[in-house]
Amino acid sequence: MTAKDKFAVLLDLAAGLRNYGSWAGETHVQKATYILQTLLGVPTGFQFVLYKHGPFSFDLRESLSQMEADRLIELEEQPYPYGPKLAEGKAAPHLRASTQSAQDFRKQIAFVSQMLGNAGVADLERIATALFVTLDSAVAPEDRIQELVELKPHVQPAEAKVAFARLEEIRTSALNAGLRPDVNARR
Amino acid sequence: MPGAAKTLHEIRDPIHIFVRLESSERAVVNSGPYQRLRYIHQLAMTYLVYPGASHSRFEHCLGVMELASRIFDVVTDQRTVHPNISGSIPLANSFEYKYWRRVLRMAALCHDLGHLPFSHAAEDMLPDKRTHEDITLDIIRGPEMAQIWKDILISAADVGKLAVGPKHYPKPLSDWETLLSEIIIGDAFGADRMDYLLRDSYHAGVSYGRFEHHRLIDTMRILPRQETDDVLLTLGIEQGGLQSAESLLWARYFMYTQLYFHPVRRIYDFHLKQFLMEWLPDGKFSLDLADHLRLTDTEVISAMRTAASDKSAPSHTPARRIMQREHFKRVAEITDADRDIDPDATELLSTELRDVFGPDAVFTDRYTQKGKGIRFPVLTRDGGIEWSTVLSATLKQVPTFTVEYVFVDPSYSGDAKRHVAVFRKKLQEKRGKSK
Repeated sequence: MTAKDKFAVLLDLAAGLRNYGSWAGETHVQKATYILQTLLGVPTGFQFVLYKHGPFSFDLRESLSQMEADRLIELEEQPYPYGPKLAEGKAAPHLRASTQSAQDFRKQIAFVSQMLGNAGVADLERIATALFVTLDSAVAPEDRIQELVELKPHVQPAEAKVAFARLEEIRTSALNAGLRPDVNARR
Repeated sequence: MPGAAKTLHEIRDPIHIFVRLESSERAVVNSGPYQRLRYIHQLAMTYLVYPGASHSRFEHCLGVMELASRIFDVVTDQRTVHPNISGSIPLANSFEYKYWRRVLRMAALCHDLGHLPFSHAAEDMLPDKRTHEDITLDIIRGPEMAQIWKDILISAADVGKLAVGPKHYPKPLSDWETLLSEIIIGDAFGADRMDYLLRDSYHAGVSYGRFEHHRLIDTMRILPRQETDDVLLTLGIEQGGLQSAESLLWARYFMYTQLYFHPVRRIYDFHLKQFLMEWLPDGKFSLDLADHLRLTDTEVISAMRTAASDKSAPSHTPARRIMQREHFKRVAEITDADRDIDPDATELLSTELRDVFGPDAVFTDRYTQKGKGIRFPVLTRDGGIEWSTVLSATLKQVPTFTVEYVFVDPSYSGDAKRHVAVFRKKLQEKRGKSK
């Protein structure tokens, strides 16, 4: 995927999240992109590491900087401690018209937007971290809740259990919708 | 004490006057990997444009160590630590405090050990998408440094974590480790950024990079950020330091526009990469640590000088372009105003020039600044916390630096400029029609 294709996917994902009630800050877009790329196999090619609020991509942050410079997005300030909202910039329509990639993955983008649009940052952190733990082949399925709690000590075991259950719902819904979630994440 | 071995050493420095270091830190400075940094120019071939800019990574890393520990001392001072997080900050003189202060200084000293010849200029010539941070980590964890860490009972892994940060370290960092890493390499006001702006502007002979760093450091604070159930430690400032932070961030913008992305400096990077493509085995840098440590700017310059005078050398042309200043000429800079008319203006112009002068005669250079670092928490005078971008009108105005240059072979520059003039006229006509 070229940089422009990635930008188009991010634009549509942020718009999709907004349609389902999210205020689409960077954290929302980070976690939604992680699910989109890792679970649904949309090849955005971002490298994710476990960071302050769960899986996070510094490449994706750089892409958002580039998108701001290219006036594809505008940042709307929020009061501390929340990060800025990502609103559409004036160059967004031109990019949409000149790229195909977001169209190719519109079903996946719409699905993730619908599943995560009403989730808050804390929920997104837990669900995305649950996926991160699930993908770690060194962690046995029965140890996943414990692993998540160790990685994020502020998360209670009951909350971790809910996050894994929610992840399972998302995977099942994706399968039922014919979106073929990533095989490694289906364990 | 007369006759006692000296354990504290000083190095003169034009930016910080004295950099003081302990014997263990001097052992790092005396090691092979660190001494190699004497021969890695901080700003690649910028000295061909700004003759004074011939300083090296060696003194920069000393400066980063000095600033990082000054910041650490300020932000861990219990008298100013925010009450919501005081339990997360080690008490002064505790073992934990001394341990992490030492690790921080070592990490700051070592954070650039993996730099390739000419620093960032040809970093994309490493195989497998590896970066200089990956090599830095290999060196810190490698045999050359192992005895030093063993002698002072610190973990190579901890030094590595802080030196390369969460983006490049293969395992998650704790909140505390992330914060310490931010002190060294943070986007907003890490010691690395502070030192390079001050040092680069000093050596280049420009004033753009100067800012009130003493005041800024004095007002730096660790502040809580709670967006979920977790309270995160974040590097911020007291409101009284906001103007110093503003001046740093504007300084960075001006240094990018005036120095780091000077068009002639950029084209020398391009020709350097052309040279290395021919000169290096398989056109790539080696990932072997011994090979890396053997290679510096000195070896590359020597080979370049030889190739420049040998017409039969495969790397003769790019070597000659650098050594005899026959570099490509910038014929166009596409601005925001041009992109407003046509977002694809750079591509269109480059394609047109390539069609006329050939693909090898045209080079398009595009760069967008990564991480502006303008948004950080500020402790307000009434004890609240707010984003810098809410409190400061000027920070929101710092542009994301972006550059799009088109260069051509100097033998075509006259003709190319005429093509560019016609292209610009068409662009203006397009704007007229769209109004």
